[in-house]
Amino acid sequence: MRFSRIRAVGGRVLHQIARDRRFVVLVVVAPLLLVFFVKTLFEATMVPAPAQNQFVVPFGAYIVHFATFILTAIVLVRERVAETLERMFVNGYRQVEIVAGYLIGYTVLATAVSVMVLAALELLFDLGYDLGRLVEAFVILWLLAVISMALGILVSNLARTEGQVIPFIPLVIIPSFLFSGIIVAVDVLPRWAQAISRLSPMYYANQVLQQVIEGNSATSDFGAALALPIFGLVVLGLATLTLREQS
Amino acid sequence: MVTDQGEQEMNDAISISGVSKRYGRIAALSGVDLTVPAGTIVGLVGPNGAGKTTLIRILVGALRADQGTVRVLGQDPFTNRRLVRTQIGYMPQAPVLYQDLTIGENITFFARGHLNGGVAAKVAEVVRFVDLEEEIDRQVQSLSGGQAQRTSLAAALVHEPNVLFLDEPTAGVDPELRRTFWLRFRELADSGVTLVVSTHQMDEVVHCDRVAIVRSGLVLADAAPKELFSSGGGTVRIEKETGSEQHHIGSLADDLPRVLYDLGLDRSVKRIDVQGPTMEEVILGLIDPNGGGHAV
Repeated sequence: MRFSRIRAVGGRVLHQIARDRRFVVLVVVAPLLLVFFVKTLFEATMVPAPAQNQFVVPFGAYIVHFATFILTAIVLVRERVAETLERMFVNGYRQVEIVAGYLIGYTVLATAVSVMVLAALELLFDLGYDLGRLVEAFVILWLLAVISMALGILVSNLARTEGQVIPFIPLVIIPSFLFSGIIVAVDVLPRWAQAISRLSPMYYANQVLQQVIEGNSATSDFGAALALPIFGLVVLGLATLTLREQS
Repeated sequence: MVTDQGEQEMNDAISISGVSKRYGRIAALSGVDLTVPAGTIVGLVGPNGAGKTTLIRILVGALRADQGTVRVLGQDPFTNRRLVRTQIGYMPQAPVLYQDLTIGENITFFARGHLNGGVAAKVAEVVRFVDLEEEIDRQVQSLSGGQAQRTSLAAALVHEPNVLFLDEPTAGVDPELRRTFWLRFRELADSGVTLVVSTHQMDEVVHCDRVAIVRSGLVLADAAPKELFSSGGGTVRIEKETGSEQHHIGSLADDLPRVLYDLGLDRSVKRIDVQGPTMEEVILGLIDPNGGGHAV
């Protein structure tokens, strides 16, 4: 592994993102719009604020998860179809360098999405978090974003065409929403659904976020806090191993 | 004199023996044998679907052969691909480039895969070689087909490989640029680079040192262009005072003297026209001896 090659992939990805301003604006603004829609829904139903927070903060995280997962799922398979992925391999780039470079490049966008979503939650729902809680919530959202991008790469490795990625998107996104504890507690789900919930980074992110929502430190349940980065490393390892050169 | 086979193998940049490759039920290659001496240009000629691209992708380690042995610079290009790839360059069939990046950014990015330092100087040198200095800051999506092909060639060359694989580099390129491309290829071969060039354009084989004619996953002929040319048949038309007659002969090189002798060249013969085939006819004849020959 050579760091200069990771930097080259990351730099190249950033260059491409910077050239497509409309894409950048859409990626950052669309999640804000979704947070606003949730606000409108709660205003109409008049749910009390504490109950709102239990839902909206994880839902904000879910928006970050959704947006960042789709980014890499689609972009990397596009590289495979265009054969630039094969050309990268033939020109000496290695799996781990490509995955790391991609994550570094897109982390800039993921960071922007995380900050914007958190700012929108704070402003629209008046969470009343102090700086420490906001930083903790941001770190969780940011980690979730990076892990979701690694998950996107893993899923794109299972597809051969851009069309094949499409069925995978709801398969990942919808169970993440239903089974990760955003709507109902995971404990009440059947065992098979609980097992599925463990396959989504949203589950681990929600476990830690609930601590922050309740006013505890993010690391007060140390096991839950550690599970998120460990899950991320596993996904990252799998994404690297499955990034195959041959189609 | 006994040939020193070991020494010969040392001089071969590429050796392929009994290579087969299937995609499901379809046999892309069915026992290909080919050797390429170092510092030569070998042309792979054949119809679409003949197996040229599959063969090149096996040689760059992007595909694994189902059977047979492949050696590029003495190494298996699949199992030792990291090592082999430091010494090879590959220009894919379509100009595989990032459309939203400039010429310079594309070449620099692909250069960084192999080079750790001195990238800017190497990029400047290769851009000069393909004559794109003035366009270096243009995005690929705004380039003509020929400019994109030159960019793709530069990306394959920038790390100064010993062996260069070019998959249809002149497809969709105007005649003037084609000529320039072949001049550049010859310059590279003269400097010791081995080139494997697949092409649709049969007249281009005259630029190659050797020509491998590929059809249905087999190498049908592997010869110097002159040898191929002399293997072709032709027509002898003899005009006599009493009228003219025309004879078809199988091989001009082997059979022409005998045919002329048999015809008896007496004083009544006013004129003899010997018409050989074009290179295209020779190759089409080899690809399809029954005269179909429309698929190239």
